[in-house]
Amino acid sequence: MTEQQVPKTQKCIAVLWPSFMVAIVATGLFFSAFDPDDLYPFGEQTEISRMGIYSIGFLVFWLITAVSGIGTLYFAITNCMRRNPDSRDQ
Amino acid sequence: MTSPSSAGSPGAPKSDDHVEQSLYAKAEKIYPREVHGLFARLRTLGVLGLLGLYYILPWMRWDGHQALLFDLPARKFYIFFVTLWPQDFFYLAVMLILAGLLLFFVTALAGRIWCGYACPQTVWTEAFLWIERKVEGDRMKQQKLDALPLNGRKLRIKATKHFLWLAFAAWTGFTFVGYFTPIIELGQRLLSFNLGPWETFWVIFYGFATYGNAGFMREQVCKYMCPYARFQSAMFDSDTLIVSYLPERGEPRGSRKRSADPTALGLGDCIDCTLCVQVCPTGIDIRKGLQYECIACSACIDACDDVMDKMGYDKGLIAYTTENAMEGKKASIFRPRIIIYAVFLVAIMAAFAYSFSQRIPLGLDVIRDRNTLYRETSEGLIENVYILKILNMDKLQHQYELTVSGIPGLTLHKDMATIVVASGGVQELPVRLRADEAELVVRSSDVVFSLVAIDNDKLSVTEDARFLGPQ
Repeated sequence: MTEQQVPKTQKCIAVLWPSFMVAIVATGLFFSAFDPDDLYPFGEQTEISRMGIYSIGFLVFWLITAVSGIGTLYFAITNCMRRNPDSRDQ
Repeated sequence: MTSPSSAGSPGAPKSDDHVEQSLYAKAEKIYPREVHGLFARLRTLGVLGLLGLYYILPWMRWDGHQALLFDLPARKFYIFFVTLWPQDFFYLAVMLILAGLLLFFVTALAGRIWCGYACPQTVWTEAFLWIERKVEGDRMKQQKLDALPLNGRKLRIKATKHFLWLAFAAWTGFTFVGYFTPIIELGQRLLSFNLGPWETFWVIFYGFATYGNAGFMREQVCKYMCPYARFQSAMFDSDTLIVSYLPERGEPRGSRKRSADPTALGLGDCIDCTLCVQVCPTGIDIRKGLQYECIACSACIDACDDVMDKMGYDKGLIAYTTENAMEGKKASIFRPRIIIYAVFLVAIMAAFAYSFSQRIPLGLDVIRDRNTLYRETSEGLIENVYILKILNMDKLQHQYELTVSGIPGLTLHKDMATIVVASGGVQELPVRLRADEAELVVRSSDVVFSLVAIDNDKLSVTEDARFLGPQ
């Protein structure tokens, strides 16, 4: 399979969906251990509500896991292309 | 019979190529035909029951609070008569493990009935399909409408459908947030256009996910996104219940008049009406054998039984069966896999129930004052300062007695005469410990705080801490 053959939607799902699920787990674990009210991000107390901190925490986790997913996707596709160099012409 | 993980035409050596091609081809819209029958009724029951629960549960009250509320702002989970705190994370984790194990058990026993009747993806897709049929009409009408160029009538019909979908999705998103923040207040804030920014974000996020997944993605979620669909085959064996076409009975397939005698024509029972394909929500042909796309919804069983009835043949050309039963072997329910899953399930449930019944609804945290390690009092004693956090997780208010031990002659000093903590309350309590320097053998000694409710000595906890002194 070549990179061109994989539709963009498939790539988006492959990156965003597993990272979404892992981000939920990470958020759950992190905020079970730490109360947002006890956290001082970058040494400062925040005015943001707990709901806001949870949401931002989740989105940050999702961003990080998604970046990792992009790396995996990139390596998987480039490795695939290296193994079948002809497929690039298709 | 192919294993459920392999797809496409069974046994064909080139099937892998073919599968990858079709997996990544642009998905064509599937128009599942409406189906009536026993299993369709069961699914409707599942849909109504589960959706009913989803939309009604957050409005139910229990003991003065919302019956089911994962109160994230307050960091408390109310599950009917139980209130869980962050300290009880362990129980929540065990509950999740139990749910997973139960899914394994059910899968080994009855295949993918979760997918066909109870999965949120199925349930919401059914609801969205129902709205679509009410607005656009049956399968034929939907296909005709989609083939038309855009005109006034098409625009009106499509707009109505999407409006209804979006309204339903928005209500779903609102209900979802209502599980995490008290729904009555949430509703009042919604009505006064006063929702918080994050509440608004999550209502839209979940509503949009519902709209997209149940309205557009549908079977593609099962095919490309569902992890369970990928690994469920590991729990299957030859005695697992599957939806299957009986090729010995059906083949060779072919159309014929109702009055015709199939044996004279050299035909099997399948009249090749393709209704089983038309009703399939994932768009597969069950006659090609078990495929991983099959969510065991048994719409094809209902459709085929209906046709068999009309033809005057026996029902069950497509049926719930097992691999062993199809090969004429004895089907067995109690096999090692089932027994092992069941033993694990019962053992973990029992351990959970026991551990939960022994749970002490009292928490004690001891935090040392970080500013000074120790100080010497005017009487020449060594003093350490701590802040105690007492968490009363019980339903009643209690008065507690605090004691400390670990160093001979250690004394406890606090400003409050009595320690009273309301139900569900957290009390911070600064305390000072004093000890004679002569009694301190090492620089850091272990001390133990114990807290016990005066009216109930079962409510008792201990917490270790360190007492620092000079070298």
